[in-house]
Amino acid sequence: MTPAAAWLVVAAAAAVVPLLTANTYYLYLAMTIGILVVVAGGLNVLAGLTGQISLGHAGLYAIGAYTAALAATRLGLGFWTALPLAVVVTAIIGAAVALAALRLSGPYLAMVTIAFGIIVEGALVEWVALTGGPGGIFDIPKPRLAGVPLALSRYYWLVAAAAALALLLTRNLARSAWGRALVAVRDSELAAESLGLFAYRVRTTAFTLSAAFAGAGGALFAFLNGYLSPDSFTLQTSILFLLTVLFGGLGTVAGPLVGAVALVLLPELMHQFVEYRLILYGSLLLLSVYFLPRGVVGALARRRGVGSAAAGAAAAGGSPGPRPGRGPGPPPATAAPAAAGPRGGDFVERAHRPEHTEAGGGPAVLHAVVLQLTGVTKSFGGVRALDGVTLAVRAGTIHSLIGPNGAGKTTLVNLVSGFDRPDGGTIELFGEPVGGRSAVRIARRGLARTFQTPQLFEELAVLDNVLVAATGPRLGWLAAALAGAGGDAAATRARADDALAAVGLGEWAATPAADLPFGHRRRLEIARALAAGARVLMLDEPAAGLAPAEIEALDALLSRLRAAGLTVVLIEHHVELVMAISDRVTVLDEGRVIAEGAPAAVQRDPAVLAAYLGTPA
Amino acid sequence: MLVQLAVSGLALGSMYGLVALGYHMTWATSRTLNFSQGHVVMVGAVVAYAAHVAGGWPLAAAVAVTLLAAAAFGLVVERIAVRPFFRAGSPVWLLATIALGIIVENVAMLAFGKDARAFPSALALKPVFVLGAGVYPQELLLPVVGVALMGATQLFYHRTFYGRQLKAVAWDSEAAGLMGIDVPRAVAVSYALSSVLAGVAGLLLAPLLNVSPTMGTLIGLKAFAVAIIGGLTSAAGIVVAGFLYGLVEALVAGYVSTGAREIVGFAVVIAMLIVRPWGLGGARPARRV
Repeated sequence: MTPAAAWLVVAAAAAVVPLLTANTYYLYLAMTIGILVVVAGGLNVLAGLTGQISLGHAGLYAIGAYTAALAATRLGLGFWTALPLAVVVTAIIGAAVALAALRLSGPYLAMVTIAFGIIVEGALVEWVALTGGPGGIFDIPKPRLAGVPLALSRYYWLVAAAAALALLLTRNLARSAWGRALVAVRDSELAAESLGLFAYRVRTTAFTLSAAFAGAGGALFAFLNGYLSPDSFTLQTSILFLLTVLFGGLGTVAGPLVGAVALVLLPELMHQFVEYRLILYGSLLLLSVYFLPRGVVGALARRRGVGSAAAGAAAAGGSPGPRPGRGPGPPPATAAPAAAGPRGGDFVERAHRPEHTEAGGGPAVLHAVVLQLTGVTKSFGGVRALDGVTLAVRAGTIHSLIGPNGAGKTTLVNLVSGFDRPDGGTIELFGEPVGGRSAVRIARRGLARTFQTPQLFEELAVLDNVLVAATGPRLGWLAAALAGAGGDAAATRARADDALAAVGLGEWAATPAADLPFGHRRRLEIARALAAGARVLMLDEPAAGLAPAEIEALDALLSRLRAAGLTVVLIEHHVELVMAISDRVTVLDEGRVIAEGAPAAVQRDPAVLAAYLGTPA
Repeated sequence: MLVQLAVSGLALGSMYGLVALGYHMTWATSRTLNFSQGHVVMVGAVVAYAAHVAGGWPLAAAVAVTLLAAAAFGLVVERIAVRPFFRAGSPVWLLATIALGIIVENVAMLAFGKDARAFPSALALKPVFVLGAGVYPQELLLPVVGVALMGATQLFYHRTFYGRQLKAVAWDSEAAGLMGIDVPRAVAVSYALSSVLAGVAGLLLAPLLNVSPTMGTLIGLKAFAVAIIGGLTSAAGIVVAGFLYGLVEALVAGYVSTGAREIVGFAVVIAMLIVRPWGLGGARPARRV
């Protein structure tokens, strides 16, 4: 059965329910499922796409429900005003919680969300004047349509429509640039920030959105029930919401639906064992984390022969067309797409090739300084990692930084790219001081970096990795993403395609990044930097772990980048590569610059020889 | 009134600290923790009740069985819910330990019944008078045992060979492994010890709070709050935070309302996480690139 057919069957089944039964209890159950789909759909954006766990969504659900109930009973507002009001209020409170919570992760984030849930629950009980205390709120009027109160069987259609809408919106979101960014931030916060994407903002948006969904679910619940009491909004409810998404399938479109149906109906089927209900929930939770990393939906998708990454991509993917599964191998590596010309000659001789010192027509010396470090210092505890480093990198050159382990090379990259703050000295990028600025800001100024261990968005396809970079912070309107409008601009796509082609990864576009061979992972990082529009590229040991043929390809790639006018700062241990390709070499030792100059001169420098080989006594 | 509140606050606070120290122990060795730690408190109380009150065993035997049960539960949690997901990252072990907690709570519900039962103790019968306030001797016993145990764990970590091994794992599990320390076993031991602390808390709290299958959840969450406030990496911070939390909570409950107690307590945690997420005693972590 194709997904489209499956959705038709689901829609038909949902449409048939009120025709089959007038039993209000069954209708009530069906609507409970619908409401759970709405809440779980929002939680799926948070947990499935951004990978953040909330154990406090019952609190947001409560705020939606009580806002709607109070609006209806105290302010006399109708359903159609109360519902949006509940959504807005819950979204605002959700945003506030997110601002506090989302700098944190793991158990810390769990703590904030749990604490929020407990505070809301406590407030529902304590703030009697507003919430009615333990007794709650009664006599919430029935929603009206065109002045006529809606019977339960009519209200069913409304809830069903809301559930369908929730699934549609999350599907659209997952396929948009926003959805891609959410997954990117989950897979590697470092890489996302190095591409100019504020992880914190992206996550806060996801949390706020999921709060809005919870608010809508709460409002629907208030009008369904007609009364509210604090018992419906405990930590257990939060866990149930989370379990729904986990069991159904984290990050899959249909997950919340499958989870909601299972978790509402299973206990009903075994209603003579009411006391076993929570044991069932606990067991399902354990079962889900053990055997169903992508829930029931993910497991079914895998059985149909689609890889698990593709199951995720069904929700998260942005690139069209079928993706290769685990079965058929990815296309063969083109080890050296541009490894033209003779190789393996004397590297000193090649280092003297004139084109290396005369990139772009004029002598390199005359090129403008794009990156200037002056007296930069950085200490970690008692260790001086950088001790007054002064360094000028000129436009359109390949400037290498070498030095023994612990010389301070990576520290320097971290300071320049904004992942750490200098203790003293100045760093100027294109003439503007950037020392101490955030990684995101520096990335937006046109500097991109790679990492010693490649930081890829593992669950996104190769093309989507590059699209994240090409899009950068320009994610467009969230509303457009939800509505399914606002696909990638042609220019963005072109930039991504060009970047992939430039590093020779064109044929791999549809492969999940996690499946990329090691040597290609570094190239994907470079492609991302190119797509982000970087003019200065800092590569942290790009040759580490590469085979000789791959190093040659890297050499060729870097030369082409230089020819295209990019500036490359190369941190590398592979001396042969450095000497062959660099216009200038700076040697660091124990946090100081001990030599700088053309490759050949540096190679003969006695200080350099001493640092590498030790001083003869 | 003030003295009374202070004594019972400090008594409860010492137990929060003890349970929270358990979070710290497993966090230190493995960067994981048992989200059903509160349920270990409950298991301690329920087993002690079953052995001592229902079974009529002598107290010493009941205590021994309780501690063994708690340690065993800790090992089960580690083996089933933590070890398989050690590499998978936080959400997974977090959810798995929550799941185990739910299961244990409801199994206890089936075996024990829903209702809270009194755990008679000679120390919680008649109040004694301290500075004019009537307090139960049990309330005075709690901080004494609590502090003694906290001190004992520190001695264990700093003075014994095995404790030092655990400490080495806490500093750098990779290096410890290379030095021949059995890291998985150290993690398992830290789970067992952490659960023993929670079991002791259950044992000591039973006469004061009554015994019920649901008693653990809130204690576990409060202890977690204490661990965060004190700093997950700081034993000293946690002990201080435990007493502070207990004291503030008792005062709020006494002078405002019992409902406001939880609101204030958990609001403090959120505030702490905004201002100083590494806690009172913890050190600001460096970002690793």
